[in-house]
Amino acid sequence: MLAIQNLHAEVDGKPILKGLSLELGAGEIHAIMGPNGAGKSTLAYVLGGRPGYEVTGGSVTFRGKDLLDMAPHERAAAGLFLGFQYPVEIPGISNVQFLRTALNAQKKERGEAELSGGAFLKIAREQADGLGLDMDMMKRPVNVGFSGGEKKRNEMVQMGIIDPAFAVLDETDSGLDIDALRIVGDGINRIMRKPDKTVLLITHYQRLLDYVRPDFVHVLADGRIVRSGGADLALELEREGYAGIAA
Amino acid sequence: MTLTLPTPRDEAWRWSDLSGLPALADQTPTGHAPDPSAYWIGTDGPRLLFVDGIPVPQPTGTTGLTLGPVATSSDHLLGRLTTGHDGWTLTLDAGHAAPQIEIVHIATGGANHLPARIVLGEDAQASIVETFVGDGWANRLTDIRLDRSARLMRHVRLMQTSGFTALRETATLAQGASLIAAILAIGDAGTRIDGALTLDGDQAYAEYGGALLARGEQRHDAAIAVRHAALNGTSRQLWRAVADDRAVASLAARVEVARGAQKTDGEQSLRGLLLRRTATINLKPELEIFADDVKCAHGATVGELDAQALWYLASRGVPPQAARALLTRAFVGDAFDRIGVEAVRDAFRANADAWLGAEA
Repeated sequence: MLAIQNLHAEVDGKPILKGLSLELGAGEIHAIMGPNGAGKSTLAYVLGGRPGYEVTGGSVTFRGKDLLDMAPHERAAAGLFLGFQYPVEIPGISNVQFLRTALNAQKKERGEAELSGGAFLKIAREQADGLGLDMDMMKRPVNVGFSGGEKKRNEMVQMGIIDPAFAVLDETDSGLDIDALRIVGDGINRIMRKPDKTVLLITHYQRLLDYVRPDFVHVLADGRIVRSGGADLALELEREGYAGIAA
Repeated sequence: MTLTLPTPRDEAWRWSDLSGLPALADQTPTGHAPDPSAYWIGTDGPRLLFVDGIPVPQPTGTTGLTLGPVATSSDHLLGRLTTGHDGWTLTLDAGHAAPQIEIVHIATGGANHLPARIVLGEDAQASIVETFVGDGWANRLTDIRLDRSARLMRHVRLMQTSGFTALRETATLAQGASLIAAILAIGDAGTRIDGALTLDGDQAYAEYGGALLARGEQRHDAAIAVRHAALNGTSRQLWRAVADDRAVASLAARVEVARGAQKTDGEQSLRGLLLRRTATINLKPELEIFADDVKCAHGATVGELDAQALWYLASRGVPPQAARALLTRAFVGDAFDRIGVEAVRDAFRANADAWLGAEA
């Protein structure tokens, strides 16, 4: 699905990723953990193509294509979804309008037929129900006045509607209480745990992994993957901290 | 007649560019008007069509709507040029309500001057939408008198493809009267909107605002003064200006509260959006208050599109141009929310969308 090789990236001239390599196959869920400042969010932004995050070396191949050669909206149309750590508020545009525009833009880019308003609303209602978000909230401006937990659930509703092949979820668990964590975890499993889909979970803590069990866990420190293992590695990190590994 | 025009040295005209008007005044209109059918919004009410300021007969059948000499006078530098020209008058007696009226003005070059008067008796109500298209200089003076509790909804689209559209509007509102006006400047011509509203009776209510969308070398310029001369008046001036390329959009909005006009509630919201750094937006909110128990809020901000929001939209698959259009549409949307006639609101939004290149 996604192959990252020797990736180097910098922000404002400061190197953050320093030779990161990672292979993610279809049907797999990977978790990346690591201390603050290791480059976890930078990896997510580089994969999404955020302006200001400059790739200085290496390659990223996504479903056989050069991901780094695509504009951010083209990456989305190619099947990449980025779940934001801090979802953006957009006054004046409803969630429904935002998502319908996004979904149809992706379909247009792929040469597929666009969805009618009715067909879209049906999908939106199903996904909002699945994440416990009221449809009235979907008619409100994007993330405006949403609590931290509602914003994260909204990210998952968006992922459900867009139905990507590959999702990078950047600290989707931050700001969630226990109940919301379970709802979001269930959402990730329901939407993404499929043989043809891949998830890269970026997280500080092990607790989301109680709900979304990863097939692989990687430790990112100082811009590189320093250790990889199975789900047990997350438990070990939770117990012993990053200090020994990152050193 | 020698054409005497204001110059940028006059404070009230400092952002206007009237330099093209003398040449337009010397031209002769071609008289070749396009088919007006595309410009009717499609409300059920009576229609009036003017080509170069001359009425083209239409079956109206509306009581109170007349064509011919208009009882207006003005010392306004552009408005006064309409003196002596025929125009239209809407006079409604007390308690009468007119169906939605649509007026389309087509200019075919040159200059045309047209006065209008709207006089609504006690409790009368009317809704008028006007659309300006074509080329040349369309110069309008509209005088509005609203008697006790009369209600007028007034919506204007400035859509000329070239030339200049100048509106001079004066309004006097008696006790409990209400005027709700929204103006959309969206063509490729220069515009000047010049409004002077007086809230002359207790509890009068005025909303006067709109959206100015400018691109190329275009200049839109609005100068509005709302005078609170009586108790308990409420006024709202909500304007949105968008400028692209090397265009200039300017808004000067003033609230005057006279001595004794206590409990006035005045609000101004002027916001500008620069789509390119070569464009210019001028905002000038002014308050002049001579009473001590009033509430006057004003806000004026100019900014660019939110980079975070653009990135969020891109990450969801929306191409840059569509993302910019969507955010710009949201920015100007406030200006149309208060349009009470659904067909008019939809038409204004559709025009704005077309300007933005967005697909609704």
